[in-house]
Amino acid sequence: MFDKMTLQVLANHARAAAENMAHTLHRTAHSAFVKETQDFTVMLMDRRGDTFAVPMELGATWYPGLTYGRAIDMVEDYRPGDVAFTNDPYSGHVATHAPDTHLWKPVFAEDEIVAWTGGHIHNTDMGGAVPASLSRSLTEIHQEGIRFPPMKLVREGVFDDQILRIMQTNVRKPALNIGDIQALVGALNTGERKVHQMIARFGKRGFVQGVAALMDQAEAQARDILRAIPDGDYRFADYADEDSDHANPCRLNLTLKIRGDEAVLDFTGSDPQLASSLNVPSGGDPRHTILLVGVYYVLYTLNPRILLNTGLTRPFTCIAPEGTVLNPVAPAAVGMRSLTCARLRSVIFGAFSQAIPDRMPAAPAGNNCIVNVMTRDERTQKTVIAAVNPVVGGGGGMPWRDGTNGSGADAAYLKNTPIEITETEVPVEFVRYGLAQDSGGAGRWRGGLATEMAFRVFAPDTRITARNRDRSFFRPWGVLGGRAAGLSDMIVNPGTPEERTLGNTDTAILQPGDVLAIRSAGGGGRGDPKLREPWRVAQDVARGYVSADAARRDYGVVPGDDAATQGLRANMATPAAHFHFGPEREGYETRWTPEAYDTLTRILASLPIHWRFFTKTEIFRRIEGEGPGAVQRAFDAVCERFPELPRAPERVEAAE
Amino acid sequence: MDGNTADWKIGVDIGGTFMDFCALEARSGRVASLKVLTTPDDPGAELLEGLRLLAEREGLDPAAVSRFVHGTTVGINTIIQRKGATLALITNAGFEDVVELARLRMPDMYSLFCHRPDPLIPRDMIFGIPARLRADGRETTAPDPQAIAFAVDRARAAGAAGVIVALLHSWRDGRQEAAVKAQVETLAPDLFVFTSSEVWPVIREYERTSTAILNGYVHPRVSGYLAALERRLADQGVPARAMLTKSNGGLMTAGQGRRDCVSMLLSGTASGVIGASWLARQAGEGRILTLDIGGTSADFALIVDGEVQFGTDERIGEFPLHIPSVSVSSIGIGGGSIATVDGQGVLRVGPESAGSNPGPACYGRGGDRATVTDALAVCGWLGHSQMAYGQLRMDVDLARQAVGALAATLGRSLEDTAQAILDIAISEMFVEVEKLSSRAGVDLRDFALMPFGGGGPMLGAFLARELGMARVIAPRRPGVVSALGGLVADLRGDFIRTVFADLGVSLAAPFRALADEGRAWLAAQGHHGPADLRLSADMRYAGQSYEIEVELQPAWLDTPARMAEAFHATHRRIYDFDDTQGRIEVVNLRLSAIGAGPKPEFPAEAGTAAAATPARLVPVHMGRWRDVPLYDRADLAAGATFAGPAIVAQEDTTFAIPDGTRAAVDRHLNIHLTFEE
Repeated sequence: MFDKMTLQVLANHARAAAENMAHTLHRTAHSAFVKETQDFTVMLMDRRGDTFAVPMELGATWYPGLTYGRAIDMVEDYRPGDVAFTNDPYSGHVATHAPDTHLWKPVFAEDEIVAWTGGHIHNTDMGGAVPASLSRSLTEIHQEGIRFPPMKLVREGVFDDQILRIMQTNVRKPALNIGDIQALVGALNTGERKVHQMIARFGKRGFVQGVAALMDQAEAQARDILRAIPDGDYRFADYADEDSDHANPCRLNLTLKIRGDEAVLDFTGSDPQLASSLNVPSGGDPRHTILLVGVYYVLYTLNPRILLNTGLTRPFTCIAPEGTVLNPVAPAAVGMRSLTCARLRSVIFGAFSQAIPDRMPAAPAGNNCIVNVMTRDERTQKTVIAAVNPVVGGGGGMPWRDGTNGSGADAAYLKNTPIEITETEVPVEFVRYGLAQDSGGAGRWRGGLATEMAFRVFAPDTRITARNRDRSFFRPWGVLGGRAAGLSDMIVNPGTPEERTLGNTDTAILQPGDVLAIRSAGGGGRGDPKLREPWRVAQDVARGYVSADAARRDYGVVPGDDAATQGLRANMATPAAHFHFGPEREGYETRWTPEAYDTLTRILASLPIHWRFFTKTEIFRRIEGEGPGAVQRAFDAVCERFPELPRAPERVEAAE
Repeated sequence: MDGNTADWKIGVDIGGTFMDFCALEARSGRVASLKVLTTPDDPGAELLEGLRLLAEREGLDPAAVSRFVHGTTVGINTIIQRKGATLALITNAGFEDVVELARLRMPDMYSLFCHRPDPLIPRDMIFGIPARLRADGRETTAPDPQAIAFAVDRARAAGAAGVIVALLHSWRDGRQEAAVKAQVETLAPDLFVFTSSEVWPVIREYERTSTAILNGYVHPRVSGYLAALERRLADQGVPARAMLTKSNGGLMTAGQGRRDCVSMLLSGTASGVIGASWLARQAGEGRILTLDIGGTSADFALIVDGEVQFGTDERIGEFPLHIPSVSVSSIGIGGGSIATVDGQGVLRVGPESAGSNPGPACYGRGGDRATVTDALAVCGWLGHSQMAYGQLRMDVDLARQAVGALAATLGRSLEDTAQAILDIAISEMFVEVEKLSSRAGVDLRDFALMPFGGGGPMLGAFLARELGMARVIAPRRPGVVSALGGLVADLRGDFIRTVFADLGVSLAAPFRALADEGRAWLAAQGHHGPADLRLSADMRYAGQSYEIEVELQPAWLDTPARMAEAFHATHRRIYDFDDTQGRIEVVNLRLSAIGAGPKPEFPAEAGTAAAATPARLVPVHMGRWRDVPLYDRADLAAGATFAGPAIVAQEDTTFAIPDGTRAAVDRHLNIHLTFEE
């Protein structure tokens, strides 16, 4: 048994090894995706393939609880110097979309595997139907690029040239892929060397036992946190604005059951798997890291000293029924799962907010929109493709301060590009890049403001993609009396006769002189706005964060006029509900009540998987009225129109 | 100065608790060092006290001071304590939030409560005016005079002391900013004005703007402090022109520092690394990891092949600093770091610190929580001699009480608990050093560790062992390495021009402009010797979003093939690959103008190898209690050798030497420690 008193020494050595791997990869990678966006992870894993250490400063935040075990087991006969890899979301459930290429390498001590080093990079392109391999409109995994099931990429130190040639033939930027993969192999080698140093420092037995103790420690920390949360069932649902190009909302539903030091996250009631690429391939693993990212944020926020490793997933069990958006079956497309994952996190935050209202913030903006432009440079007569700034919104109001403006909470890893650099490289001219007034939810602690960005283009048929746009209909919610935040939007030529509002669309075509304005959502407010100190409201008005009208309307404050403020506030109602969602969701849910969704879920779950999304879409097309009855009537109408639909349960079995 | 009078060169470094003096009498080679407690209520008074002590002990005559160099934390403290000037910012309408949004990404990215620091200029003091330059330098909208007048009125009404002007693309052409500045100065002659292009004319609006803001924010305090300092020196009859150490490890005149404040923010830390590199060179070492441990933090820097390393992303408190600075990594673990036990019975150290007040429990100033220093005292490494030149007294019983409370919680022995505190503190530093070395791509096994500061020698050898480093070099006067760094530093001014062009356009004209600027700067510092002009360029492959700095020869500026070759080679060295077919862009041209001064000669002792004699044996706990030889540093002559475990006590620190080591004293009285295989 490892001496617990000095466990922090081993934890620090493990973290140093992980940071070393991250720096090696970051330093030697080729693509902007890895170097600038930092869309990569590296980790150390125990002999079963469970992650026990990750870096804290570089890379993405998704995989501290990832287990490679299933993928490891799909390859046989590991030897020293081997590296295996996969990017197939449906083999082993390690990769979660095709651009993410995961590698792992055994670490031997005395002829025995004692650990693994691993990690992933987001390849710029893996081939398939569209450049970058990502589009919401894709409907099956085969359109999303070439896939490699788990296999050896490096044999005893030598790259398998055949695999590299197959990859080079099938992807659009082969040099970037190969360069990044080689950099990741270098990082894995660094990790292997560091593990050997740890074995020399702590002994093989000490190392193996210490790694187990690190996982146990994280588990104990997580259980301590759960034990301090009142037992109960906490239900919450949230929506992505659109489930596909068919444009019905996509609902994620969670019942968080806290019992003592354990928790079940039951996602039953979430939408059926989609005929778009917004599916999240969890494989039904009850502790799949991609379902638990929101949990990592909650645990880390509650205890910033928590060890981030697989141990902290142990007290949690996820239920994601097969054939739903959170557990799709092949060949459902999954490329744009990051949009759904943002919503998944806000669902988890909402459930925990009910359990521990004093310690959780309101909803973050939750739309991490990545903007790309393809245009022609009239000076060089060349086509330019470039990433412009991400447009992200603020964090939710916190228990003791306002939400962070312009990004924050679960979007803090994103980085922007200087306007001066973009304007020098790309023929666009920015008109605005800043914070949007009145976009943060009002509250005792105001939600973080949205970002708005506007730029002008100069060449005809300039194409814009704005991936991950969302929250143009369903607002980031406020809590404890705080109000929901402002919505995201995308507008061509705002304030002119040619103004076009694009709503939730994620593409646009612009002509010379057109200005495109993109705005994110804001963060939700926290606490009753009339309890916000008038001086803070006055300061927000002076800073332009809040307009004088909104100060009066939402906060009951007239800056500099105490009497008027008192008068206004005396007449303001005290909000009673835990959440404030805004008129759009409230309106939507008069028809689509929780009971209506229960009916829909029951109907769809009884159908074969390939009928479900079709049937959902047809029900939405026909529904009139409100509640479960309306859903049933709409379904009856669908059955009448499509007699082929296998309606009765016995026919379902027959159809399968 | 005639041949017989004394010639004093004084280096001074002001930290949080002490002002360190390192004084060299150049004729005799005599070196004196001392520490004086700082007087926060009367900054500058400690300087007089130090000069008085030097006169009393060493016979210093202020009129014989030919060189006076000092480093100070007044700038960085102004930022950390948020005591800087009230400022207004004039920028382009539509881009007022650039300062707050910064580069978006935040540290602590797993926390839902992550946030950026409050900007030094709040949004209501930021005024957007209609004005626009295009990326090619073409002005499409001239600055609107009415909007400027409105901004100046509002700024004055709100009590602004100064105005920062930062407009888009002024890296390309500073004239638009200059025009705005001229109008502001006409409207408000009482306000100081800095433009972003005069402070640091680099592309990237956030970085350039925030550098100008830092400069303005500390300007009144730094300027006032330096004026008072110069006055005090003059009053004392010191004839030397006061020099100031800079973040880039070089020097400038105090007069220059009154305008160019942003370049002195890391004054003391940078000169510590310069001092260490000087000592390393003397000791014949080219590859060094420096370790400076104070009460609340530990600073690390790499010296590679004799050269200090420069970075452009150092931090000042919560803010990034974008001008060339000696690269120093810092972690919040020091002698005062407090040990705690978490809910699962795991021991933690830091980041909370007892600082210097109340300080560790064993200082007897009211601290009762166990710190790293207390753990050292419990294990017997400390407490055998006076500390900090007799200004601190150690009470080991108080340390035992504080550590004992934790031991009781853990149910472990006092000594085991103390050892665990040390192991954990060392492992925290281990993480930071591993990150530093992997970023730099170096193998620390080729390096020697040089500990300095009050706490460096206490923990340095343990950290070296954890890092697998074979050698430690402990300088004779670890407490005044920063002060020494000032004495040996050169004048150094850095200049930049963003060109942002494909490799191939002629760069001779911007280089000439930079060189003229550099020479004029050196002349203004009073330097009339040869100018060492070092040229480099920030280059990248087209499509990359980051640049690397490539050293260049002026002759290459008209030979793109030669520049390309240098770039490919540098890229290969840093990133392990290159792309010889890739299109290359030159983003910035950089120039460092260096004016080397006369280097002081420190005395070297001839010595013959001889086993050192310990002053006495003291009990130290290393798994069990053992009697360990304690050496008095003053007794260790050149050539002395001894074996670990051992303790070397001296007036300003204690060097703890673990088991399995051999120590030898060199001609400059550095102790070279070697771990046995």
